[in-house]
Amino acid sequence: MRWRLTVVMAMTVLLAACASVLGLRGSSPSHPFEHRAHVVRGIGCIECHAGVASAGAGTPLHFPSNADCRRCHTKPHDERPCSTCHGESYVRTGVELAREHLRFEHSKHMGAAHGDCVRCHVEATEVRPQAILPPMASCFGCHEHRDQWTLRDCNGCHVDLANEGTLPSDHVVHDGDFVREHGVRAASTRDLCASCHSERSCAACHGVGTVPALPSRLAFDDVRLRGLHRAGFRSRHADESRADPGVCTTCHSEQSCIDCHNASHVGPTATSRSPHPPGWITAGAGGGEHGLQARIDPMSCAGCHGGAGEQLCVGCHRVGGPGGSPHGHGFASTKNKFHDVPCRACHGVGQ
Amino acid sequence: MPCKTTATTIRRRQRISCAVAIILPSCLSSSARAEPLRLRADAVAETRSPTGLVVMQGEDAARPWVDVEGLVWAGARPNATGDVLVLAMRLKEPHGYGEARFGRFVLATGAIRPVQLDGAELIGRAPWGSTVETFGGAPVIPRFGPRAYDWLVGTRVSQSIGSRATAGVSYVQRREYGEVANEEIGADVASAPAPWLDVAARGAYDLTSPGIADALVSVATRFAAWRLELFASHRSPSRLLPATSLFSVFGDFPSQSIGSTAKWRAAPRLDLLLSGAGQSVGGNLGGNAWARATLRLDDRADGVLGLEFRRVDVSGAQWSGVRAISAQALGGGLRYSTEVEIVVLDHPEGRSPAWPWGLMALSWRSSSRWEVAGALEASSTPEHRYETDALLRVSRTFDGATAARPARTQSQGSQ
Repeated sequence: MRWRLTVVMAMTVLLAACASVLGLRGSSPSHPFEHRAHVVRGIGCIECHAGVASAGAGTPLHFPSNADCRRCHTKPHDERPCSTCHGESYVRTGVELAREHLRFEHSKHMGAAHGDCVRCHVEATEVRPQAILPPMASCFGCHEHRDQWTLRDCNGCHVDLANEGTLPSDHVVHDGDFVREHGVRAASTRDLCASCHSERSCAACHGVGTVPALPSRLAFDDVRLRGLHRAGFRSRHADESRADPGVCTTCHSEQSCIDCHNASHVGPTATSRSPHPPGWITAGAGGGEHGLQARIDPMSCAGCHGGAGEQLCVGCHRVGGPGGSPHGHGFASTKNKFHDVPCRACHGVGQ
Repeated sequence: MPCKTTATTIRRRQRISCAVAIILPSCLSSSARAEPLRLRADAVAETRSPTGLVVMQGEDAARPWVDVEGLVWAGARPNATGDVLVLAMRLKEPHGYGEARFGRFVLATGAIRPVQLDGAELIGRAPWGSTVETFGGAPVIPRFGPRAYDWLVGTRVSQSIGSRATAGVSYVQRREYGEVANEEIGADVASAPAPWLDVAARGAYDLTSPGIADALVSVATRFAAWRLELFASHRSPSRLLPATSLFSVFGDFPSQSIGSTAKWRAAPRLDLLLSGAGQSVGGNLGGNAWARATLRLDDRADGVLGLEFRRVDVSGAQWSGVRAISAQALGGGLRYSTEVEIVVLDHPEGRSPAWPWGLMALSWRSSSRWEVAGALEASSTPEHRYETDALLRVSRTFDGATAARPARTQSQGSQ
C-alpha cells in the first residue's frame, strides 16, 4: 500500500513539475490583476500608479508596491507580497521590455488623453485582460506617422527595431518552416522584411560567394538557429541534394561545389576512386544509370564535372559520338546551337 | 494591418512569435539606446582546417535619408584571404517616393532568385501603390576574382492594393562571358484577405529554355494556438542552372512537392511542429516528413530543449535523422548549449551506416559588450571515421552606448 502511495505522490510531483516547465498556469496562484474591479469602484489609475502622469523616459516603472495596496486593503488576507498572486509575471515582463525597446513618455500623453488612461489601455477594463499595454494600432489612432510608415523609418518609437526581437503580429513568415517558406513570402513584400532586417540578414546566407561563415557556424553557441546547413550538414549534403533536386542551384553555382570539393580533396583526380556504382555507364541504348540521374539532378554532376570537366560528357555525347543525344524530353532552347555556349561544344563545326 | 505589434505582453509575444528569424550573430545584440553608428568585431578560430577569421561589421544611419552598411572579413583558411560580404549605401527620398542602393548587396525581389550583386538598384513608388524597381550590375566573384564580362539587369513592377495584397511582374537577364546564362520573366503575389489567412506565390518562366523554372505557392491560416500551411513547389533543375552550363541541356525532369506544415502551441512554452510532403522527382514518387518539439524553459527562452525527427524517402535518398538541442543560462552571463544529431542511412552503399554529430558550447557575455564562446565539435562523416574540432569566438560590439546591455530578448521560439 505504501509503495502505491509513494508512486502516486511521485507522479503528482512529476506532473506539477511538467506543468510548471510547460508554462501551464493552472496551478499558479497568480491571476490577472483585478483592474476592472478597481475601475468600476471609481479608483483612479494614478492612485495606485503614483507618478505615472509625469513619468519620463528614464523614470522607474510604476508598479504599485505593497504599501500602495495596503493603504486601502488594510487587512490583507495573506502576508506574501500582493504581486505574488495579483497580476501575472508576464505582464510585468512585457512592461519592462516595452521600457527597454520603446521611446515613450507618459507625461507627453496625459494631456492629449485628458487623463483618461483607458483610452489607450482599453483592456484594463476587461475581466481577463490579455494585454495591458496598448497595441501599435492604438498609437496609430492618434499618430498617423504616414511618412515614417512609407519610409519604414521606425526609429521614432522603436529604439532598435532590428534587434528588438518583436515579431510581426500577423501576415508573417516567422511561424512554421521558415527556411522553406520565407522565400515565397518575401517575394512580394521585401520592403516589409527590410523594416526589420538589414542587408546582412539576407547576405548572411545568400551571399554565397563571400560569406565568411554561415550564421549557424559563426553563432555556433546558439542552438536555436535553424537553416539548411545546420549540424552535420556536411555529411548529409549529397543526400539532401538528391532528396530535393534543384534546391542547391537556387543559391549555389556549380563552381561553388567544385571549389569546395577541390579544397576538401573530394572529386575526380587521376588517382581517385569513382564514387559511382557499377552500371553507372554502360554501352548501348540508355547508357546506364548516369543518364537518368543527370537529368533528375544535373547539379550533382556539375558539382564535380562542371567547367573543364564538361569535356568528359562531350567526348561521348558530341554529335555523332557513341553516347547519342543527351537531350531529354521537354528540351528546347532559343540558343544558336552552332555558335552559343554550351551548344557549340557538341554541335559546333569541327566537333 | 501587416505591421509590427510592439509593447504587447509576453503572452501575445508567445502567441505571435514561434519559429524563425535567421539573424546574424551581430544582430543578436541589443542596446539600451539606439546609436546611429554601430560596429561589431568577431574573431573566430577553428582547429579544423585550421581556420581563423576576423569579421568586422557596422552600420550607420546618421541621416534619415541615407544609411550605410558593411561587413568585411579577413582570415586564413587555409590561405590568407578576405572578402566583402556587404558594402552598400542606401539613399531614400524623404517622402518615400524613391530609393537607391549602391554597392555590394543581395538582390532578391519578386520571382527573381537571390543574387549577390556589385551594382545599383533604383526604386520608385507612387502614392497609389505602384512600385517600379530597376537594377543592374555584375554578379559577385568571390575573393576579388577576375571579371568575365558577366552582368545582370532586370526590373520589377508591382501594385499594392491597400495592405491586403501586392502583385508584381519581373524580368531578369544575366550573362556570363557575354552569353545569356539566364533570362526569365516572373510573377509574384502576396495577399492577406483576412487576418487569419495569408497567401503567397511566385513563379519564374525560363525564356532561354522555354518552360517553368520554378514556382512556389504557400497558403497559411491560423486559429487559436494552431497554424496550418499548405504548400506546393515545382522546380526544373536544368533550368535553374546557367544556360551556359552543359548540364542545362538535359530536358525537363521537374522536382515537385506538395505538403503541409502544422504548428501547435501545445502549452505556453511548448511548440510542436509537424510537416510532411509528397514528392515527385523525375517521375519517381517519394516523400519526406519531420516533427519538431521545442520547449522553452523560461518566459524569455534563455533555456530551451528541442527534439526533431526527420525521415526522407525519395529518389535514391532514404535516411532518417534525429536532432536534439539544449541550452540553459547559468547565471553571471554564462550559458551552455549542446546539439546532437544522428543520421542513419537505409542504404549506406559503402559509406558508414550512421553519421553522428555533436557540439557542446559554453559562452560568456559581459556587461561591457565582450562576448566569448568556445565549443567542442565531434562527428563521424562519410569521409572520416571521426573528426573533432574546437571553436572559439571572441566578439566586441561598439555602439557608443554606455549603459549596460540588457539580456537578449530575442527569445520565444527564435531561430
